Amino acid sequence: MFAPLAPQGRLAVAALVAILLVLPLVWHDTYVLHLIILSMIFAAFAVAWNFTTGYAGLKTFGHHAFFGIGAYFSALISKNFDISPWLTTPVAGLVAACAGLVVALPVLRIRSVPHVAMVTLGFAEIVRVLLTVFRETTRGEMGLWGIPAYDGFTIPGLGEVVFNAAEKVPYYYLAALLFLGSVYAVVRMVKSPIGLALVAIRDSQDAAESLGINLTRYKLLAFAASAFMVGLLGAFYAHYILLLTPSSVLGLDLMILVIGMTLIGGVGTLFGPILGAFVMTIGVEAMRGIGEYRMLIYGALIVVVVMFMPRGLVAMLDGLGPRFGFGRQARPQAE
Amino acid sequence: MTFTLFLEQVVNGIILGSMYAIMGAGLALIYGTMRILNFAHGEFYMLGGFFVFFLFAQQNIHPVLAIIIAVIGVALIAALVQRMTVSVLLKREGWAFSTIAATLGVSIFLQNLALALWGERFQSVPYFVEGLLQVGQFRLPWQRVLIFVVAVAVMAAMAAVLRWTRFGWAVRATAQDAEAAAVVGVPAARIHTITFALGAGLAAVAAGLLAPVFAVNPWMGLPLIIKAFVVVVLGGLGSFPGAIVGGFLLGIVEAVGITLTSSEWRDVIAFGMMILFLWVRPWGLFGVKER
Repeated sequence: MFAPLAPQGRLAVAALVAILLVLPLVWHDTYVLHLIILSMIFAAFAVAWNFTTGYAGLKTFGHHAFFGIGAYFSALISKNFDISPWLTTPVAGLVAACAGLVVALPVLRIRSVPHVAMVTLGFAEIVRVLLTVFRETTRGEMGLWGIPAYDGFTIPGLGEVVFNAAEKVPYYYLAALLFLGSVYAVVRMVKSPIGLALVAIRDSQDAAESLGINLTRYKLLAFAASAFMVGLLGAFYAHYILLLTPSSVLGLDLMILVIGMTLIGGVGTLFGPILGAFVMTIGVEAMRGIGEYRMLIYGALIVVVVMFMPRGLVAMLDGLGPRFGFGRQARPQAE
Repeated sequence: MTFTLFLEQVVNGIILGSMYAIMGAGLALIYGTMRILNFAHGEFYMLGGFFVFFLFAQQNIHPVLAIIIAVIGVALIAALVQRMTVSVLLKREGWAFSTIAATLGVSIFLQNLALALWGERFQSVPYFVEGLLQVGQFRLPWQRVLIFVVAVAVMAAMAAVLRWTRFGWAVRATAQDAEAAAVVGVPAARIHTITFALGAGLAAVAAGLLAPVFAVNPWMGLPLIIKAFVVVVLGGLGSFPGAIVGGFLLGIVEAVGITLTSSEWRDVIAFGMMILFLWVRPWGLFGVKER
């Protein structure tokens, strides 16, 4: 069932990864690099969300909570206690994973899609409001600034690596590491017995349970692993953008963006969320000229995709022929 | 805090609760018949607010007429939306998620359409009735009394329609089992569209009544739809009486909660209550345990 990559597919993926890694060496445009960094962050976010929603079938609408928790935790700890962001970033991932377990607990008891949607959304809203209310620490909507950037270091032979706003290349590679790492982790999980168990749960809980799959353990795992990745991404975002507000990292807009990207790319596929994230981040940026109509088009696009191409863009790639090996695992989801 | 002040808070909570109840009842009606969560419900509320703003605040049309036109207008828009999206998706596999995604898209679309058409200004609407009701120390603006009275009347009328008319029977039959209802000749698809429109119409009633209290703007739907979610969880998704009880309960708990803490905690209280409820009694006060 999972043959995500045929040999030709492996070649294509290797080529794409190579292009991604070589790009900053040949194209120095700061703005372009910034766009690709954002695309990679959103792509990894979408991949992580898709892991919970598309593979495990737990339709959550509150993953932005983990992004915000990761971002604020890492920013506040590194700023107030003078601890290196290199240390606070992985810890932020763990904190987000714990939050993931907390959210998963009520989700264990409910099956209906609307209930899961509401409890996860409600959790994210609680986190957002709390960050707004405790404004002595978080500065609320005024924005948290003065967040330390990653410490520089020296690579023998290559020279010094500095993280600051003007120099995008180090951030680019760090983002690439997070992005490729997340994708790799998800691919490994999906191809392992864990992935098979999750898909079995998605397709039929009762059947999965009768075959001896421990629903509780796998659901908790799906939430915690995904929350960990999103928490890491949030922490990276905090030390990259260096300014946080509750509405920018915890607003429903962020979640909608990621949901839109995944839907447009293709839910429940490996390549779909990545494709969607790149197309939408760069597409939305290209549409910046038409200002306020961007979100209008975005909303309409989500409706059109859901109505007319429920399998997303990867399904179209599929039509190009299995030569490229992309998206062949794309298939309509069972409820 | 004096007792009178506390009483005022609770009464205000009940009045706001009646609005939560109307929003939640609309959502519950839609969920009850179609099993879908309508994320665009807040935007139907927002459209209702703009109808009343343009008709009453700008054109000076009598508020009763303005609200009636708002309800009809919003219901027609909702019917169109339902026909174009939900109605089609319901026939496909995976509809529980795809209808949420589609209505979420509709919600973003309508919100930004309003932003593009009418701008981001907060438009104020004057009170329909001036003056204060005063009993001893206790004071209450007549506008709020009006909100409460109209809300109760609308909900009673709605309950009566569901209980005693052929249309109401058809709605309840479709809610219980759409296929069985179709077998005995109930036009299920039409009932779905009408119910969706009716639910949106209820949101427009709430918007019309609340427009003078909260300003009209493209984002006004978000806080209300989130409260409506809480309400339907408390009452049991899809239960009309449950939504009404849930609405009042939420209004009162919020009012008491914020007198003990501060108004910033309003949403934390509401969501905390929702998550607690989902933990202890996921099917709500009036819902049926679904397995």
